Amino acid sequence: MLALLFILFAGLAIGCALAVVAQRNPLYSAISLIGVFISLACLYIMLAAPFIAAVQVIVYAGAIMVLVVFVIMLLNVEQQERGRTRLKFLVPTAVVLAAVLIAEVAFILVTVQEFRVNPTASPSDIGITNSIGSGLFTRYLLPFEITSILLLMAIVGAMTLARRGGLLSPDARLIPGAQTLPLHLVDPSAAPDDLRPVEMESSEEAARLLGVDPRLTRKE
Amino acid sequence: MDTAIDVVLKLVAITVAFVVVLLVVAYTVLAERRILGFIQGRLGPNRVGYGGMLQPFADLLKFILKEDIVPDKSTRFIYFLAPVIATMAALMTMIVYPFGPRTGIPFTSITIPLVIAHFDVGLLYVLGITSVGVYGIALAGWSSNNKYSLMGGLRSSAQMISYELALGLSLIGVIMLAGTLDLAQIVELQSNWRGFHWFIFLQPLGFLIYLIAAIAETNRVPFDLPEAETELVAGFHTEYSAMKFALFFLAEYINMFTVSMLATTLFLGGWNVPFAESIFGRGTFLFGLVSAIGFLLKVIFFLFIYIWLRGTLPRFRFDQLMSFGWKFLLPLALLNIFITATLVYFSYNF
Repeated sequence: MLALLFILFAGLAIGCALAVVAQRNPLYSAISLIGVFISLACLYIMLAAPFIAAVQVIVYAGAIMVLVVFVIMLLNVEQQERGRTRLKFLVPTAVVLAAVLIAEVAFILVTVQEFRVNPTASPSDIGITNSIGSGLFTRYLLPFEITSILLLMAIVGAMTLARRGGLLSPDARLIPGAQTLPLHLVDPSAAPDDLRPVEMESSEEAARLLGVDPRLTRKE
Repeated sequence: MDTAIDVVLKLVAITVAFVVVLLVVAYTVLAERRILGFIQGRLGPNRVGYGGMLQPFADLLKFILKEDIVPDKSTRFIYFLAPVIATMAALMTMIVYPFGPRTGIPFTSITIPLVIAHFDVGLLYVLGITSVGVYGIALAGWSSNNKYSLMGGLRSSAQMISYELALGLSLIGVIMLAGTLDLAQIVELQSNWRGFHWFIFLQPLGFLIYLIAAIAETNRVPFDLPEAETELVAGFHTEYSAMKFALFFLAEYINMFTVSMLATTLFLGGWNVPFAESIFGRGTFLFGLVSAIGFLLKVIFFLFIYIWLRGTLPRFRFDQLMSFGWKFLLPLALLNIFITATLVYFSYNF
């Protein structure tokens, strides 16, 4: 029974993984990747590690892939030309990496045979929430904290990238309905050291401020 | 032999739970229409059956008989997949909620726990499955090839990701008090004080944050921006008709039901009915029955709050919604964790 379930989920994982690579439509690839993650979660449950399984679904399938799908939907890649971009070094690199991976798997299969434990026969507490928690905060505290600093760095980096080259000064406010324009957007030579947005109620006012004939802004 | 009985009992439990859920969902729709009618000074549907009691079945018949329209330029496969994902994700969370204590069946010596599946990490399972439910809406919006649908889908994904954080963090207070992720144990822990040791008294702030975030998570008024009819026609399900629309409708109401069940389980003592244990005695059939009914009544109370809010509150603007979630609810949830952690630490150490 257990072996049957293993074959089912492992097959599903491999099939979905192949589909991720083979699909032309990026959204289908993303959905296949979700399939891979969910099959992996099922395998974790069979290995008596429900906590890892739940976290796998919450973090990967529920958060990261949602963002990926989100980006694909926003960019609407499908409408762009999906011509094949062939990079010359791509195929050799893939072959080498695949060989390394297969060698790794073979190495593990050959050497680590004796560590096989039957998860259902001996209810070990490896995958139980309690032991994971105490392990993270005692024995593996340093790696745990270093990983969190790594994540913090990524967050700070994303913030910096997103805020770089912001056009509006920190005290600028966007008021719905009002026309707010930084001066240097209109006239780059006029950009002062302290950029300040100017709020105007109408196009005429803006034209007057910029020294343009206000009559030009009227629609005849 | 024992496994055979076990399987049969589980199947019976699944069937009963499924039927009860569908009935409650059907009558929630009716109750919503009647109560909204009352709030707005009109009658609501009251013609089919006594006081409109058969209205849900009439609606269902209509959904089945309507023509199923598939837009020409939609992405077929995903268009079909989306309502399935939405409904599946909504139904799958049903199985972990304990709706009653261990109960003896009359005239036999069998006792069964009134829960379908018992998980060590039941709470995480619920959160995981709910987070997968976003795909149903996001993919529906994308595959319809309609700008209103896409906007609805995008809004919904953004909203659900944002409020999931506050929702998850608001539960951490309860987890710290209980010291477990097992829903059955969390309910057991609330059975002290003659069945009145509810976590809402210890976690009032966490409860409020959960309630608000849960309403946003299920896309209900005042957070129903994904289907704001004044701007987006019907949002992500604009292009859906007949039974596919009905599936989205069903998923929304089942989601309401499940978040109400989670609120009941974590904050309102689950199946604990005050004084029931001292009257009927633990493990008897009557105690199980009273507890299950008490659980259902608490859930229905939450459903009523949902309807009440829909009848009385206007809709947020989208930027207000986002800044409310990120700048108010999330820090408040963190504050709640901080306070709870401090109190738990001192109560253990001094």
